[in-house]
Amino acid sequence: MTTAAETRPYRSRSRLQHFMIQSAPLLLALIILAGMGVLYVVLFYRQLSRFPGNFEWTSVVNTSMPLVFAGVGQSIVVLTRGLDLSVGGMIDLANGLAATHMHSGAGSMLGWSLLVLLVGAAGGAINGVLVAYGRLQPILVTLATLSIYQGLAIKVLPEPGGAVPIEYTKILANPNGPTSLVFVGFIAVVWFVFRRTRLGVDVYAIGNDEEAARAHGVRVRTIKIAAYVLSGMFAAAAGLFLAATTTSGDATSGDVFVLTSIAAVVLGGISFFGGRGNAVGTVAGAFVLTLLINVLFFANIDPLYQSFFQGLFLIVAVLLGTLIRRLVGLRG
Amino acid sequence: MTSGAESITAEPRWRQLLAYLTPDRRRVFYAFGAAILVFVVGELLHPGFASAESVKAILVIASFVGFVAAGQTFVILIGGIDLSVPWVLNAAAILLVTTSLGRDGRAAQAVLLTLALGLATGLLNGVGIAYFAVPAVVMTLGMNGIMEGLSLGLSKGLTCSSCASYAPPAVQDVVRTDVAGVPADLLLWLGITIMITFLLSATTFGRRIYAIGNNETASFLAGISVRVVTVALYMLSGLFAALAGIVLVGYGGQATLGMGDPYLFQSIAACVIGGISILGGRGHYLGTVAGSITLVALVSVLLAENMPDWGRSVVYGVSILFILLLYGRERRQL
Repeated sequence: MTTAAETRPYRSRSRLQHFMIQSAPLLLALIILAGMGVLYVVLFYRQLSRFPGNFEWTSVVNTSMPLVFAGVGQSIVVLTRGLDLSVGGMIDLANGLAATHMHSGAGSMLGWSLLVLLVGAAGGAINGVLVAYGRLQPILVTLATLSIYQGLAIKVLPEPGGAVPIEYTKILANPNGPTSLVFVGFIAVVWFVFRRTRLGVDVYAIGNDEEAARAHGVRVRTIKIAAYVLSGMFAAAAGLFLAATTTSGDATSGDVFVLTSIAAVVLGGISFFGGRGNAVGTVAGAFVLTLLINVLFFANIDPLYQSFFQGLFLIVAVLLGTLIRRLVGLRG
Repeated sequence: MTSGAESITAEPRWRQLLAYLTPDRRRVFYAFGAAILVFVVGELLHPGFASAESVKAILVIASFVGFVAAGQTFVILIGGIDLSVPWVLNAAAILLVTTSLGRDGRAAQAVLLTLALGLATGLLNGVGIAYFAVPAVVMTLGMNGIMEGLSLGLSKGLTCSSCASYAPPAVQDVVRTDVAGVPADLLLWLGITIMITFLLSATTFGRRIYAIGNNETASFLAGISVRVVTVALYMLSGLFAALAGIVLVGYGGQATLGMGDPYLFQSIAACVIGGISILGGRGHYLGTVAGSITLVALVSVLLAENMPDWGRSVVYGVSILFILLLYGRERRQL
């Protein structure tokens, strides 16, 4: 099984080579994003004989934002070799709280946004404590809390309805221009810093080898709780963006994010076995999934077949990733 | 550590029993205990809840979860998971009614075709996971989407002319008629339970499943064809999801869209309540049977309580957490 590339001493790789191998999954995610973007533009042009303009790109960005946030939160948990299925319930809850309680006025909007993020953090903390101190499997804990948060969301907003102030929509999901890209830039910068903090390094360490991390003095339980708290907060933020985009609330609209957030993480090149990957890839994955729906639309594909192509695309993308990783000699 | 040879010859009976009750076997008893507890609480809250008729009705509904969870048990035992069950089940239900058109004469071939569909999707899942190293979560998630798209697309959103057909009376009878006072469906479940128990405990195939679940590398080195077994287990999972689809359409009469959705989380929860470790290698289908009954009985109690939707959802989640904390915990590390 050992090839020449693997037995070669570490130093003999140039910095560029090393960087390329380390970032191969991220690069693949960005290449898929670029390819999907080109496909979208081509199909759009073929249908309408013009290029997608400000309106179209704005709509792509705004519809992607909730998934971007849910996916980034999911990424942090997946990096610790966990899984957070409760993001769907948390998005429902955040969405419901925003739609029922938020009024126009800077104080109400800011106050409720912060409160919703706190609720997200609290929900994440429950997951984290049960995983870290309860010694339960993440998939089971978050399966149970998904049900709990979904229930609370229906309690808050029994029927679709409610409204978020128009100013709030303008800030988070401005319909007149892709200003929400600011938040994407913000996530990229925060991730660049996070990766270099003690917390970020510890998250990767746990994902790579929990026992080794513990032996090196990483406080595994605390870090795991922190990862779930962050995931809960990002899911709550996703719920706020969803409320801003749809300008109203629906206590079940977050449910799809359980699966799409995992799909975004996978397309972003983050390893399901923990410790490998970059949340910027997840952001790319979220945009790919949104663009895919547009591509299918402009390719005149019956919307009923939408999930068929989404499922097929997910599997093919992962197969492609495995193939490329084997080609560049990076295992896993 | 008991001392010397005399303790082997003169082992008290209660100690033999204790040795037989390994933690894994004890969990099966806990799970049945939980099921009985739910029925007792239900009877206290609503006299008549534990009557024969009510128990029979609950067991029939539990059998649907039990069928799906049988397949889930197989894949979880090797540390995998099957997220494709909702739409494999739904596609199976649609295929059954559209090919049989409600006629008994076509029932047999429709049932066989439907079961073949389950096996085929399981084959694809298994090959992707075992031979192409796609993570089980991703492969089966993608397959769920593929089956959803195909079901919706080919049946035009269940508006096709044959989509409104009923299940053949013969299939409906399996669920609805009683044989010697017991619904035929429960006899089917009993038969399947005995077969799976035999398969897991008394065959080399069963021993291989546990071996792979405990240590895949060691199993490979011991000469087990891990990939072939993996593919076989995902095929079984597909088969049981399709079977659940057939039985469910026999129970309800017609196929509906989204009829498989509740069965994903319920099948996983039934396995876990039954003491099957999500990491693989530990647990037994008998536990899953108890888990399915516990789960469905719990939901029935909550329904009888007239609890609102949101309350049911919360209690459901809290109960699963409670059961997990009781016996689903992993060993302490360092």
